[in-house]
Amino acid sequence: MPKLDMPSGALVLLILRVLRSGALHGYAIAQRIHSLSSEALHVEEGALYPALQKILLKGWVTSEWGTSETNRRVRFYRLTPAGRKQLEAEMSAYGQVHEAIQAVLRTA
Amino acid sequence: MKELLRRLQYLFNRRRFDEELAADLEAHREMAALQGGIPLGNTLHLREEARDAWGWTWIDRFGQDLRYAMRTLRKSPGFTVMAVLMLALGTGVNIAAFGFFDFMVLRPLNVRNPATLLRFHRRSPQAYSFVLPYPEIAFFREYSKTLSAVLALDYTNLAVDGEERPLKAHFVSENWFQELGASAALGRLLEPALDGAVHAEPVVVLGYGFWRRHFGGDPSAVGRVVLFNNKPATVVGVASREFSGLSLAQPDIWAPIAQQPYFSPGSRLLTDFSIDIGWVQMWGRLQPGVTPQAAQEELKSLAAELHRQHPNDIWEHESIPGEPSGYAQSLLTGGRRGTGAEARDNIYPVAALVGTLTLLILAVACANLGSLLLARGVARSREIAIRIAVGAGRARLVRQFLTESFMLAVLGTAVGLLLGHFLLRMLMVSSGSPLWLDPTPDWRVIAFAIGVAGATALLFGLAPALQIARQRHRVTAVRQILIGAQVAASSVLLIVAALLVRALDNATAAQPGFAYRSIVAVEPELNMHGYTPTRARTYFDTLQERLRHLPGVESVSLTNTPPFGNVIRTERIEIDGRAVWALSDNVEPEFFRTMKIPLLRGRTFMAGESNAVIVSESLARRFWPQSDPLQQQLPVGEDASNTVKCTVVGVSGDARVAMLEDPDVSEIYFPAAPDQLTGMTAVIRTAGAPESVVTAAASIAKTIDPQVLPSVQMLQPALRRKLQTARYGALAVTVLGIAALGLACLGIVGVVAYTVSQRIQEIGIRVALGANPRHVLSAILRQFSLPVAVGLSFGVCAAAGLSLVLRRVLYGISGLDPAAYLSAIVLFALAAALAAWLPARRALRLDPMRALRCD
Repeated sequence: MPKLDMPSGALVLLILRVLRSGALHGYAIAQRIHSLSSEALHVEEGALYPALQKILLKGWVTSEWGTSETNRRVRFYRLTPAGRKQLEAEMSAYGQVHEAIQAVLRTA
Repeated sequence: MKELLRRLQYLFNRRRFDEELAADLEAHREMAALQGGIPLGNTLHLREEARDAWGWTWIDRFGQDLRYAMRTLRKSPGFTVMAVLMLALGTGVNIAAFGFFDFMVLRPLNVRNPATLLRFHRRSPQAYSFVLPYPEIAFFREYSKTLSAVLALDYTNLAVDGEERPLKAHFVSENWFQELGASAALGRLLEPALDGAVHAEPVVVLGYGFWRRHFGGDPSAVGRVVLFNNKPATVVGVASREFSGLSLAQPDIWAPIAQQPYFSPGSRLLTDFSIDIGWVQMWGRLQPGVTPQAAQEELKSLAAELHRQHPNDIWEHESIPGEPSGYAQSLLTGGRRGTGAEARDNIYPVAALVGTLTLLILAVACANLGSLLLARGVARSREIAIRIAVGAGRARLVRQFLTESFMLAVLGTAVGLLLGHFLLRMLMVSSGSPLWLDPTPDWRVIAFAIGVAGATALLFGLAPALQIARQRHRVTAVRQILIGAQVAASSVLLIVAALLVRALDNATAAQPGFAYRSIVAVEPELNMHGYTPTRARTYFDTLQERLRHLPGVESVSLTNTPPFGNVIRTERIEIDGRAVWALSDNVEPEFFRTMKIPLLRGRTFMAGESNAVIVSESLARRFWPQSDPLQQQLPVGEDASNTVKCTVVGVSGDARVAMLEDPDVSEIYFPAAPDQLTGMTAVIRTAGAPESVVTAAASIAKTIDPQVLPSVQMLQPALRRKLQTARYGALAVTVLGIAALGLACLGIVGVVAYTVSQRIQEIGIRVALGANPRHVLSAILRQFSLPVAVGLSFGVCAAAGLSLVLRRVLYGISGLDPAAYLSAIVLFALAAALAAWLPARRALRLDPMRALRCD
């Protein structure tokens, strides 16, 4: 599969979305996005961690210590109520924009 | 809000969060490696990018810059010390000047609730006075509803055994200490309940300094009975060290004003409405919620009521304006009075002048440091090239250089703060200021210093930082501008210094128009001792008679204005619509002979003459340039409807008896009227040294009336005291001017040396090809002659502008005095030429071969 560029701003949305079903550590987040997108989207470390820092700062997720598959102490990120609300808002906004773009693409 | 808290948490726990981040990244890589991913990129860089999200990277960068700047500055201690000293000089002078302005104008007085305190004076369409008759003040005190308190202050001299000089006594209203919120160091202060009545037990409060001096700080002084003017009074307390009331002088004692007649028997201070009796100043405290305007309205109507009762003494249409008195500046207004609109002395033009001069020094220091930094930047071009090559951005470089500049500025300003404090303290000690004028920097001065540091850093740092970051080696234009600015600023300082020195020479060397060197003035202040005009006549007749018999006395006379004193009387004269201010004086006929003021035309007064006037030469020239001044009629009076025509009987030479510094004033003399005798001063001219007469005159005065203790002083020391401030001023400006000249020369030396070293190969080739060394030299120096010339002409223009302000304090020198300008310009040109020639000479001594071989 060819690697696609991540649309700007979408990464935060995707991270929040994959965290909805439960806490994950950083590598798992990247993997999850990678596999769910049928390996079309590839999340680089250089983009993932700054985005995670930003989300932590905003209070949308909290971090807690856990053990990775490799038996290492790593941080798991968990969605907070505020993060859930943000996710809803971003998803509906994204839906609207997406539909608008589609409408233009279909009819123009 | 929460986000901000989290952000701060990141700031304080940066290390822990960074470690967590590192652990995350490492685990990520480990897991990626297990699944066959290839880790890319630098983890450090990744971490840095992730950290960016916290928003505190600038602190790290700033810390880096700071550490780097510290290292760079430490590596070249010579440059650093030089730069810091230069800045300390520039900022220190400014901080001292601002500190002075601060405690004169900005800082409230150290008294209770200074904001509601007003100083009142009298004004009518025809006259003004900053002193009031005491009964008028008492009337206001009794009937005013808008003022919660009225304060009165009267200065007098009192004699006490064991002190050579008379004491500075302040007679004050008994609410004085209470209203000003003063505390006693010992015993009690004056209290309204105890000390208000005329017949209360006589008491005094000692000033702290006098208590230490006279009683050796003995606590048992309180309760003692001491003789003041031979009148017993009980010492009830000592005021605290810092307290000196509403006065810049430090009084020796305070006593209730109600007891003034007790100490000066026969004084009518408390009852007489006429203005000549005393010098009582009045303050008032506004009732809560009352505006100053309301208080003035009320006092005006009270004054109108008083005018009906005392039509001769209280003026028609008299108003009582009040000015905020919560600042030290207001204390500079002494007890002036005169006819017509008041002549205001304003602190602001002088402050602006001082501010300009001190800013000029700072400008020179900044320009100089700017050129130094430029030169350093060129020397550091390798370092800069390397940093750019490894990826430093322009903005980052500029920030780095600015950080260095800020560090220099902060260091320089810190030293400048110390220097400024030291300067101010020296000034205060040498001028004997009261202790409550505290030169310790307050928050305003600190804020000013911080502002100065920031502004100077930008001023001297920005241009070089931009130039260096752009890697431009052709910085000549900037350098030339900097040189021009330095030359302009320092030439202004030099010219002003030259003007002040010339003015001082003029004031000390030239005659003020009369024989002041051999004059002794005896000022008995008879009106303070309840003398009637008849008794005063007898007193002065006896005094003059006995003085004339003293050996060494040539001539004795009486005048109404003590020469070189602080009393100024002005008269407004209007002829054909042209109005002129003149200093007026009432004198006895002998006055001109005694003072050796030449009578150029006509004659002196005759005994008992009235409606006659003698005008000074400059006044005569102004009014009657074409015709003969003698027998002309001069209308004199407080208002147009009430003038008296006086006949000019004589024209005298110009003599600056009262106002030494202002060349524009003219003098006008009237015969002394009998009722003015109580306020007269005797002047004595001696044949030889006046010292011998001083003691004799004092003891003669004492035998006539032991109650009266006249101040007897020679005019020469009085003049010297009067010129002391000007001398300090001239000295300070000269030091600043020389410092500025030195700085500017240093700048020129540096720039020329740098140019020579840059063009060393070109010079070598030219010399090798047989060029005339003089031509080579002039080719190098030509590029500097333009900025120096432009700067100098700017400087001359600016100095001429400044001298318009200076004119009034220049003691009779024109603000365009050619000698001053010429000497300053010549000195400057010589110094600049020397500064340019010294490094340029090196170019001519070069061996062409060595020059060509050098890199």
